Amino acid sequence: MEQVFQVFVSGLLSGGIYALASVGLALIFGIAGLVNFAHGEYLMLAMYFAFWMYGIFSLDPYQSALINLALMAILGYLTYKFIMERVLDSSHSIQMLLTLGLSMVLQNLALMLWKADYRNTRIAMTTSTLDLGPLHLSTARVLAFVVAIAASVALYYFLHKTYTGAAMRAVAQNGKAAQLMGINLKKTYALTFIIGITLVGLAGLLITPIYPAFPTAGAPYGILCFIVVVIGGLSSIPGAIFGGLLIGLIESFAGYFIGPAFQQAAYFLLFILVLIFKPSGLFGKG
Amino acid sequence: MLKRLLNINNSVLWAIAVLSIIVPFFLPNRYFQDIAVLTFLWAGLSSSWNLYSGYCGRLSIGHAAFLGIGAYSSTILYVNYGISPWIGMIVGGLFSALAALVIGGTTLRLKGTFFVLSTVAFAEILKTFAIVSKDLTAGSLGMMIPYNPGFANMIFQGKIPFAIITWAYMMLVIILCVRLEKSKLGYSLIAVGENQEAAENLGVNSTRVMLISYVMSAVLTSIGGTLFAQYIMFIEPMSLMSVGYSVNFILYAIAGGMGTAFGPMVGAFILVPVTNLLRGYLSFISGLHGFVLGMLLIIILLFRPDGILPQLKGFVRKLMNRNKNNEEKGE
Repeated sequence: MEQVFQVFVSGLLSGGIYALASVGLALIFGIAGLVNFAHGEYLMLAMYFAFWMYGIFSLDPYQSALINLALMAILGYLTYKFIMERVLDSSHSIQMLLTLGLSMVLQNLALMLWKADYRNTRIAMTTSTLDLGPLHLSTARVLAFVVAIAASVALYYFLHKTYTGAAMRAVAQNGKAAQLMGINLKKTYALTFIIGITLVGLAGLLITPIYPAFPTAGAPYGILCFIVVVIGGLSSIPGAIFGGLLIGLIESFAGYFIGPAFQQAAYFLLFILVLIFKPSGLFGKG
Repeated sequence: MLKRLLNINNSVLWAIAVLSIIVPFFLPNRYFQDIAVLTFLWAGLSSSWNLYSGYCGRLSIGHAAFLGIGAYSSTILYVNYGISPWIGMIVGGLFSALAALVIGGTTLRLKGTFFVLSTVAFAEILKTFAIVSKDLTAGSLGMMIPYNPGFANMIFQGKIPFAIITWAYMMLVIILCVRLEKSKLGYSLIAVGENQEAAENLGVNSTRVMLISYVMSAVLTSIGGTLFAQYIMFIEPMSLMSVGYSVNFILYAIAGGMGTAFGPMVGAFILVPVTNLLRGYLSFISGLHGFVLGMLLIIILLFRPDGILPQLKGFVRKLMNRNKNNEEKGE
């Protein structure tokens, strides 16, 4: 029983990170309607940046967080400006293939620049644990979970309590109508993309003390985020948060009860079932 | 007039396809012959992908699953039971048809990104099965095919026999695509891809049309999978059934021109040698060939989303018009 509880908490902790990375994609895909297959690669870039800041300047990932996030925001803007803005009106297929190409470029760029080696960022928090009764939890994982959920909730309030957030939701509902109401469409798209990339970057730097950075470190997250967003009901931020937690739990339980090899297959199966029986997502409307 | 010129262009492409078989005979060594075999094989695989996704415009990023089914069916039958890969190839095709019926039956009604993601999901689930069924597939250790040359074993000493087989495979798929373009099924498929509702209103049974071509595409991919396994003589699920392999199918088709019978061939004829030579001669920069491929994909999509084949056709047309004009002036 204790072990099952440990499996549950462990799944929940991973789920928090999935939620944060997916909330970024929920903005880009669910709200702005842009397909980004290179989403995971930005997570990988943030991991590398955190790693190098620690390796060169001895700044741990939390100390270098602000510079890291600023860099991710700039990268997000550049990606939007030079790639996404050109295909705003193109079909999803074109956007998909384009960002698939981008993901190849970023992965192989990382391979060329930093080799395929696993880069571990071992800070004090990597090995320290929090003991809560019978549970032994890695401090870094707990911190990552708390920050991830806080950031996701903050995004929800940003979307629902600020003018800019309302503008983003308006664009999501009807771009043309929003434009007629005086909302600058391109600026809103750009901002949505930048925030989305910054959030997945935050997820990346939070897991740097836990997982190694390598060129394809972000690849599994790219697909996973899409699955979470679809399960969560596309444009729903709470849906993405719950979806992320759910995937984390499924992964953890499938790994414990069936076998580690089934971790991914389990959520892919859930995804197909959702597509067949409830295509609007588990938390979507209708 | 235009039609006649287009036909001339197509006959140029036919000539390239047919005559390409001469190339491996003139290549100086096994290294270049190896690239020729891979080029034919990928031209055939990419054309198989094109048969559904290219004409219908719905991208499958899960075709590595059928590649894997074809490769594993023949290899398991051959290694464990001594059954000839030629028979294994047919068995693999049947399994792939079955898988395509199940996958297609559940996902073909999905649109856009949802369909794409579902193909990825199915491929990942099948990959997991290949990894987990250790008794059958040896899991992630992979399966070696013992070297025992002979026609019945589909194992040969030189590269040339395989060049001929893979070329024949490529020709088979291209001929099927050309025939599809002229058939009712092909017209319906293109119509469904352009506007499903409109096509249905005109009496096209879109589910049936999509399912038939999806199954055809899967079976052809599976045949390529068997050839792939017999040529490399080692299969392993992590790379063979990965998203990365699935992307290759698309890359060559996009580069040449999706939804055209010769597009994937043109794409593969250019990109497979280029990337293999990059990998061969600049191997000290690992990742360079992937970087170049990704860049090419981005550039083609941003500036030439129809691929380079229409561009080539336009170029040939311009040349011919100029010749014609000159002739007229001469008279």
